[in-house]
Amino acid sequence: MLSFILRRLVSVAVTFFVVSVVIFVMMHSIPGGPFDAGDMPLPPAVRERMMAQYGLDQPLYVQYLRYMAGVLRFDFGVPFQSPGETVVSLLASAWVPSLVLGGLGVLIGAPLGILLGMAAALRRNSWVDYLASAVATLGLTVPVFVTSMLLILVFAVWLGWLPSSGWGEPRRWILPIAAYATIPMATYARYTRSAMLDTLNRPFVTVLRAKGLSERRIVFGHVLRNSALPMVTVFLPMFIGTATGSIFVEAMFRIPGLGSYFVSSIRTRDYPTEMALMLMLTVMFCLAYLISDILYAWLNPRIRTGGRRE
Amino acid sequence: MLLNGSGLPARAGALALSIALAAPAFAETFVSAPGESTSGAYLDYMRTVYARAGFPEMIQLPLTSFDNEYELHGMAAESLEQSEDGLTWTFRLREGLVFSDGEPLTAEDYVFALQRAASTGYDFGWYWDFAGGIANWKAVAEEGADPSTLGVRAVDDLTIEVTTETPKPYLPSVVSLWYPVPKHVWDEHGDNYATNVDTIVASGAFTVESWEKSNNSMVLVRNPTYNGPWPSQVDRVEIDPTLGAPEVGLPAFMAGEVDFTPLNAGQIPFVEGRMPEAVRQNAIFATSYIAFDMDSPPFDNVDVRKALYYAVDREEMTETVLRNLAIPAGSILPPSYPGFSEEIAAQAVFDPERAREHLAAAGYPNGEGFPEVEIWYRDQGGYNGAITAPMLQYLQAEFAEHLGITMNIRVMPIQDWMNAMLNRENNLFLAPYEYDYIDPSNFYGIFYNGGRHHHHVPEYDALVAAADANPVWEERVDLYRQAEQVMIDNASIVPLVHPIQMFAVSDRLSGPSVEPNSQGMTPMSRLVPYFYAHLEVEE
Repeated sequence: MLSFILRRLVSVAVTFFVVSVVIFVMMHSIPGGPFDAGDMPLPPAVRERMMAQYGLDQPLYVQYLRYMAGVLRFDFGVPFQSPGETVVSLLASAWVPSLVLGGLGVLIGAPLGILLGMAAALRRNSWVDYLASAVATLGLTVPVFVTSMLLILVFAVWLGWLPSSGWGEPRRWILPIAAYATIPMATYARYTRSAMLDTLNRPFVTVLRAKGLSERRIVFGHVLRNSALPMVTVFLPMFIGTATGSIFVEAMFRIPGLGSYFVSSIRTRDYPTEMALMLMLTVMFCLAYLISDILYAWLNPRIRTGGRRE
Repeated sequence: MLLNGSGLPARAGALALSIALAAPAFAETFVSAPGESTSGAYLDYMRTVYARAGFPEMIQLPLTSFDNEYELHGMAAESLEQSEDGLTWTFRLREGLVFSDGEPLTAEDYVFALQRAASTGYDFGWYWDFAGGIANWKAVAEEGADPSTLGVRAVDDLTIEVTTETPKPYLPSVVSLWYPVPKHVWDEHGDNYATNVDTIVASGAFTVESWEKSNNSMVLVRNPTYNGPWPSQVDRVEIDPTLGAPEVGLPAFMAGEVDFTPLNAGQIPFVEGRMPEAVRQNAIFATSYIAFDMDSPPFDNVDVRKALYYAVDREEMTETVLRNLAIPAGSILPPSYPGFSEEIAAQAVFDPERAREHLAAAGYPNGEGFPEVEIWYRDQGGYNGAITAPMLQYLQAEFAEHLGITMNIRVMPIQDWMNAMLNRENNLFLAPYEYDYIDPSNFYGIFYNGGRHHHHVPEYDALVAAADANPVWEERVDLYRQAEQVMIDNASIVPLVHPIQMFAVSDRLSGPSVEPNSQGMTPMSRLVPYFYAHLEVEE
């Protein structure tokens, strides 16, 4: 198991390096720069002076090495869009609302999705299955900004029960989290249904039934556990994905989270913030997959040995 | 010349004070307003215009400013005077103006603001060169000359002297965008003073209480030390740029969480039907027009340009695809803009027969042999974003139907579009322009001596130069009219539309800011110092 984890850690480091190079090169390949935002271009002499001030007049590899040297010290530089701060302090304050939104969205949506998927699988081809499948399909296909708009219209405008947007007091969290939870709920419902159907059709379930076990013990004691493998694969990456914030939900509900920085750092060519966001995402996704792999290997030892018997 | 001021008379102030002492404490009044941009670095208009955060115009005091009738008022400037040769303006500041930290606001704070702007890459520097004509601007900004050589100086604490390269009778309008930089704070913190609530000091009617960086929402409160014109009528203004998108703003407005919101085309009929009393409109001082490279075929032929000029049915376009979004444009100047001429605007008629005659005279009867052309326009949000796509599709169909011309459309980022126009990478552009200061010279200047369109027409240049320097308003306007007539005869551009903005306004709000002006318009998005100082709200 230890060598398995070490191999995975090496692959994380390689992925991090490759991603950092690709992102850095792509970012600088896009025409324009941080001082080209105005209607009128800056005079060339002025522009050159500004580029030199931020070290952007150096060769690209020098800029990359300087930036990465800072990253190793956990210094992601100064954001162009907020020069009085550091990238770390800027993102640290924005991460909290995104974590709350994404985290609670997944923690509420995932169990609901699992229940929905279980109900659909256990009552296959019944109205329960059709209803659960319809809800899951709607959750996956209706854009989240439409869901958000409907929730605002019903609960804030028509009924007046909840604020339409904003952040801060917990009652303002309800609608955005509800809107966001539809995504993990729908995803989990689909995964759970297909995983459970697959497990329910396997011979060992027939054997368990023949042995006289109750349906409850079969489902919760055996089927659900054996169906957990694919769900483990989905859960952590989805958690990380949601923790970085949903741009649309944050925009619709005016949440001061990370989502806006993904957009504004690209639009304003804020290279330090753009790099920091992508590198943090890369590390988090790598770690999420690493943990998933470990859990996977723990749940199914054949995986870590590549299916070979030792 | 003494400028208007709107400070309360001393007696009224005393009366207000006695009422305040006698009355029980009132609840704090506040306005919740949409902002304009969720990104922006500095709360300092003189550091950056295009990357400014929030409304720095609310917290610093300009030398002059416009009211909702577009009358110019002295703000920090109490009086001004132009020298005999027209090259020097002297601005006298009001006595007793102070920053929110109690330090006096002096001429040095204004002079420093422009010196820093010229020497540190201000993205609005072109304005002070093109519109202001400040002496030595280019040398300081582009050649590294000492900022002290700039044509601005503080004669004493209350007197600013501005020297221009050529006479600028309209400089008082230009300086409506001249804000001070608190030099005593800048000396300590540098440019970053304007990124931190703790170091920002205000000279205007508001000061900053809090600032959420992730979306640039901020809370501005009445500046307790402010004693200039146009004091705030409300205690707090909560500005949230995320409410600036109509899709977010209208639901929040209907839920009572924002006091006004811009409307998009789809929302206008709904709001007009459900709450007509809430609707306000404002014709922005902006014009969308077709611009040509007049040296490049086929647009080097005046008959081709005239064919396009007469082939546009502006009335039908603004009554159909641009309904509620724009009004017809016959002149580069928008209606009610100073210097606007009905006579000039009336010449832009839809006459397809005449258009075909011009095209035939150019050698392309019914469009035969006319090359396929491509019009370039910039991808943009806001009111331009709402009108450009439907307008171009309409024009594409019009030119095909009436002239037999195939016009393709290409969209590009703003900066690419501007560079393409400046570098003449294409011969046909859809160009929007919105005023920066209120004077005809602003619009005519963009075609002067090349301008942004390489528009070199000696007769036009001579008329505009004469108008720019003429101190007599009536004579100036007449010269500008003659200049625009040259443009029309030359078909230099095809004016298309003037955009309008629609808003929904809560009945909580009152005061001149939300009442239509004498033209029936309610300017809610541009006259920031006036707008927020003249908002009243029920408690």
